[in-house]
Amino acid sequence: MTNRVVVSGLGMVTPLGTGKEDFAANLFAGRSGIGPITAFDTARFPSRLGAAVTDFNPKDFISIKNRRRMDRLSLMATASARMALDDAGIAITAANRDRIGIILGVAYGSTDVAAQFMGTLFTEGPNLVSPILVPNTVMNAPAGHASIELGFRGINSTVNHHEASAETAIAYAAAEIQKGRADVLLAGGADIFSSFFFEILTHFKALSPVDGGEEGARPFDIRRNGPVVGEGAGVLCLESWEHALERGVIPYCEIGGWGLSSSPAPPTDWPEDPKGPVLAIQRALGMAGILPDQVDYVSASANGGRNLDRLEAAALSHLFAAQEKKPRISSIKGAVGESFSSGGIRAAAATLSIKEGILPPTLGLHTPLQPFNFVKAHAIDMPVACALLNGFSSGGTFASLLMRSVDGSTDLHGATR
Amino acid sequence: MQNVRVVITGVGTINAIAPNADAFVTALQQGRCGIGPLTVFDTTGFRTRTGGEVRAFAPQERIPPVYYGKRMSRADAMAMVATLEALQDAGLLPLPDGLREDTGVAIGGGAGGMLEGEAAYQRYLSGHADTVRFSDFSAFCGASSADHMVSKLQLWGPKTTFMTACSSGATAIGYARDLIRDGMATAMIAGGTEPLARTTYAAFNSLKAVDPEYCKPFDRNRQGMSLGEGAGMLILESLPHALERGASIYGEVLGYGVSCDANHMTAPDPEASGAVRCMQMALADAGVAAGAVDYINAHGTATPANDRMETIGIKRVFGDRAYHIPVSSTKSMIGHTLGAAGAIEAVASVLAIARGFIPPTIHRDVPDPECDLDFVTEGARAATLNVVLSNSFAFGGNNTSLVLGRYAAEGIVP
Repeated sequence: MTNRVVVSGLGMVTPLGTGKEDFAANLFAGRSGIGPITAFDTARFPSRLGAAVTDFNPKDFISIKNRRRMDRLSLMATASARMALDDAGIAITAANRDRIGIILGVAYGSTDVAAQFMGTLFTEGPNLVSPILVPNTVMNAPAGHASIELGFRGINSTVNHHEASAETAIAYAAAEIQKGRADVLLAGGADIFSSFFFEILTHFKALSPVDGGEEGARPFDIRRNGPVVGEGAGVLCLESWEHALERGVIPYCEIGGWGLSSSPAPPTDWPEDPKGPVLAIQRALGMAGILPDQVDYVSASANGGRNLDRLEAAALSHLFAAQEKKPRISSIKGAVGESFSSGGIRAAAATLSIKEGILPPTLGLHTPLQPFNFVKAHAIDMPVACALLNGFSSGGTFASLLMRSVDGSTDLHGATR
Repeated sequence: MQNVRVVITGVGTINAIAPNADAFVTALQQGRCGIGPLTVFDTTGFRTRTGGEVRAFAPQERIPPVYYGKRMSRADAMAMVATLEALQDAGLLPLPDGLREDTGVAIGGGAGGMLEGEAAYQRYLSGHADTVRFSDFSAFCGASSADHMVSKLQLWGPKTTFMTACSSGATAIGYARDLIRDGMATAMIAGGTEPLARTTYAAFNSLKAVDPEYCKPFDRNRQGMSLGEGAGMLILESLPHALERGASIYGEVLGYGVSCDANHMTAPDPEASGAVRCMQMALADAGVAAGAVDYINAHGTATPANDRMETIGIKRVFGDRAYHIPVSSTKSMIGHTLGAAGAIEAVASVLAIARGFIPPTIHRDVPDPECDLDFVTEGARAATLNVVLSNSFAFGGNNTSLVLGRYAAEGIVP
């Protein structure tokens, strides 16, 4: 069985707002979700900025019974999953629940709960650790909680690869729908930042300003000096084309192809050679049957980090430099920061770009490191038939998704959104 | 979609009863217990003190310098040991240059580098975050083992780490098989790795899920699991590629199923609904009738809830035939290796197929009326196995079942 895979619903809890209306309005208006961190004291650190989720009220989405058992990460992920299902118009029933599931990318998980658990373990001893905390220390807690709250019992999985976690999850989910192992899969990513995680990231000079200068996220800019940490969840509702049509729903777009690769970089480091990312993109294009000059828009993985942005620029240059028609490129990590599993939020943004014909800006980009066709400070209106979403991670893991418009598909007659 | 068949051409493992696959066969056949007092960390203050530890593990003695990294955690090093053994076994070490772009890694992780991460965390707690070593912190991310493998082996293929607790290793193998079947890779290193660590040990102890003595799967007096550690790796390869290079073939990954209980975060569904759907999905994916299954490598953690649930689930899937299918828990010998469990159990299942035996369940001394299947309690049995089902059920209600088979040119042997 080879099903076409479409996106039929979106849900997100982001630094730019909760739910697709607020998120899209803020994203395309060029607003930034980055600001001084208020959740904990940052005075002793060289970095003070973060893209925090501030307007999220779990009560709007999750039952009291299950809310008590969830931590912030699972609340965000479960709320996003509910929004994605609602947006797709899917109600979970006894008849469909075994064919509906979730696959999430989680890069670091509940570092706050893990720190609390280990704090008790190492200061008060093993007999005083709370069993209540245990379920939320595992990476697959968000997907597990979402299944309990929403009641779907199909494929349930969690994958993990730094900055490429969510793109890897979406590619996995798309492959499962393609094979007919599920009718509907929620797919995306969720991560949060905590004081513990932030301290470690600053200690290892993983955040702007890595080596001085003004703090800020500046994807692809020559003045970039590291990413700004972000958080949030973004979930797509993926389903087979047939399943969407049977329900009378016009999907937002199609996931036409995906490509996965790696690169023998030292763990946690970046490769010099763009071969790994080039392979991921070529594999995604090849699977979709798309030529490089058919790509209208690239939602880049660049986060303002010295090496990631250089690597991605080298890969894009390799693939697109020779052709006359150059894709538009932007990275929304200038607005939502680097949450490590931001691929869910970014895939939702790319979906909205295809649907609405608007490309989001790359906040923080003033002087590009290469003369690409960037969307800089302001969103631009442009029809998008094919969008490429890149998820590139340290340690050399690469996942690219080719997303395309379903406009002009003749077999959509009679369906409504 | 190509739907090419996917075969197993190499296996490797390190665990509490064996430093490699050959020794694992002997230990499984002898029913050796690897569960004893822990030395990998100080157990003072813990409810329990035992586990399935890999004793005297010296990574640098097992890993040649070219494949060794000083930043490797215990989990990374065990993964590398099992990987090198599996590649060697497959005749793919060193990996031919022409295969590097199309060979990837899919592994199941659990605590990852937690043992080292704990040291980092203790420094952070004592106000010395500035002295935390990067190698220790990088351990907090489960992707570390796969990153090391790709880096040291110079690979360019797909790379994914599964973090679904106790089903991670089995899912990784099913996923890797799909990537090859879909033509997205020619070969995959698939498996899992898990270290013993204070954090996981404290977590399972706080849930009172650990037997203070040793685990007794399916026994009436079972009191919980024994935690273990280790790694298991399989080399999966497309059948045409394996045939072309004349590789010897252990068996075939026939299919897998993944389901979710959607019931409780840490307790299995007492009705076994998730486990039943998972086993049925795996059999359907494999194109194998329930009647063809010769042996079930059980999840068999020895928690009261799991073993009761799994017995019910097997009966629901196999009907009256459930009583005639040998079912064993290799966790009775090596403990529950969490993220590696599904992978090490796949290695055990593949070796059982290749060497013609059924591993026993040890320490099942008192029959439990609620667990009344053939648990192979008298010791290992000689048997010709054509189709084996391996179950992994996890926290979060994550269930995975793998169907592994003897390789026969004409397809599944009925």
